[in-house]
Amino acid sequence: MGAACVAGVGLIPFGKHVERTLVDMGSEAAYRALQDAGIEPSRVGLGVFACAAAPRLLGEVTSGQNIFWEVGINRIPIVNVENACTSGSTGFVLAYNAIAAGQVDVAIVVGAEKLCIPGVGLLNSGETELDTQMGMVTPAGFAMRATRYIHEFGASAAQLASVAVKNRAHAVLNPYAHFREAVTLEEVLSSPTVADPLTRMQCCPMSDGAAAVVLCSQEEARRRRRTVGVKAAILCTGSYDNPADLDRWETDYRGCNQGYEAAGIGPEDLHVVECHDAFTIAEILHYEALGLCGPGEGANLAVRGETRLGGRIPVNVSGGLIGRGHPPGATGLAQVHEIVTQLRGEGGARQVRNAKVGLAHCMGGDKDGDTKSFTAIVLAS
Amino acid sequence: MTREVEWKSAEDEKLPIVMPGILDIPGDGGQPSLLGGSCPSCGVRYFPRPPRCRRCLGPVEESSVGAEGTVYSFTVIRTRAPLGLPEPYAIGYVDLKESGLRVFCLLDPQAVEEFRIGVPVRLAVGALGHNVHGSSCLRPYFMAPAPGPGGVA
Repeated sequence: MGAACVAGVGLIPFGKHVERTLVDMGSEAAYRALQDAGIEPSRVGLGVFACAAAPRLLGEVTSGQNIFWEVGINRIPIVNVENACTSGSTGFVLAYNAIAAGQVDVAIVVGAEKLCIPGVGLLNSGETELDTQMGMVTPAGFAMRATRYIHEFGASAAQLASVAVKNRAHAVLNPYAHFREAVTLEEVLSSPTVADPLTRMQCCPMSDGAAAVVLCSQEEARRRRRTVGVKAAILCTGSYDNPADLDRWETDYRGCNQGYEAAGIGPEDLHVVECHDAFTIAEILHYEALGLCGPGEGANLAVRGETRLGGRIPVNVSGGLIGRGHPPGATGLAQVHEIVTQLRGEGGARQVRNAKVGLAHCMGGDKDGDTKSFTAIVLAS
Repeated sequence: MTREVEWKSAEDEKLPIVMPGILDIPGDGGQPSLLGGSCPSCGVRYFPRPPRCRRCLGPVEESSVGAEGTVYSFTVIRTRAPLGLPEPYAIGYVDLKESGLRVFCLLDPQAVEEFRIGVPVRLAVGALGHNVHGSSCLRPYFMAPAPGPGGVA
């Protein structure tokens, strides 16, 4: 592996952008990534646009062609991707594979989402699925993981909540974050309950936003500065075998191991991690799947400060989904943006010292007690 | 208290089941059970019944996957409820005694605070919320603690 590099990244601040359109946000992120890479639009050989919900919520389809056209990219193959919360990182994997296969020298991936629409309720995994019809909503799936985790490992509600305190503290340092105010443990625990035991502040917000990444071949990267190497770009899905273990997340463990194998590293080699903390319990389970600690030890990691900025292995220094916000189509690329920023040493107040190797971990959608999609992207300076 | 037979009122009986083919409701008012499938060649059990076996792609026979089990995990949803479900409402994963399957299902909306991991539960059917077409419908749910003989809680 290691056949491609990140040449540039672009992000717009996440939050409520009621007045902005999907195309407007996506094309601004694309413009910023092209500027950051210093690459002419005419050099781009593949465009991938990722979005999770625009066809359903906005009635907009094949938005990629509109977005890329706004930044002077046309005539080339353009693909529109939907893979729930991993839509953006799935687009990254497709672009990486096209470069690794020698099909193109330069590819751009843009992810955008517009979720702040009046009347939009909780997200689910598809209206026609039995689970959805039986009352499954996304926070509830994670709440059941939390209930089981507390039962099996004796974790406390306060331990779970400490993840939100950490990520919100990180978000204060990130000018792109949806939430810029810190919260206390008491505030997290006393915010309204969404699904037992998860309170509102333990759930990521639904955000608007966009992110973009320009990838290039190694040959192209030799002519450029500030590029970051891609050591692995993994996309996988679940087996959905019954019964599913809610706390030993098969696809999560398998996907992380695939990422480590492809990159030729282990968890001890990581300096910085962005993971899919859609809910506090999710980050704890991801610590364990990533091998940052053993099964059942994740709840203690955040409490001990090991995963905060300045700790042993900082996780979600961008604020994560809980602090930076969660526009699903953009999230996987915002994670890559953060890791690239860290590996370039451009993290400012949230810079992890001497960060050389980072991992962006993302998961999306629910099916039969497992995830629908998993991505792991390992980057190294 | 006989909550589990409430659905048998004349009006509820006419209601559609939330999704066809997932419930076996005996005409004599007996214990309803979840209807799934079983592959005659692989022996794999399914809920709900898939169009073909996901292992051998052969036909799957309709079969009951069970009516009793224990709670593997659960939660109570205390925010705006979808599909016209009660607020709050409870859901969980139940390990079925008969088939060994871990199934996702609603839990008794009139006893949302009563569920714990490991408690025995039994299936009931009731008019709960609306379906994709917006009409009232029957949904299965598990009751806890399991009612004694005769179906009376």
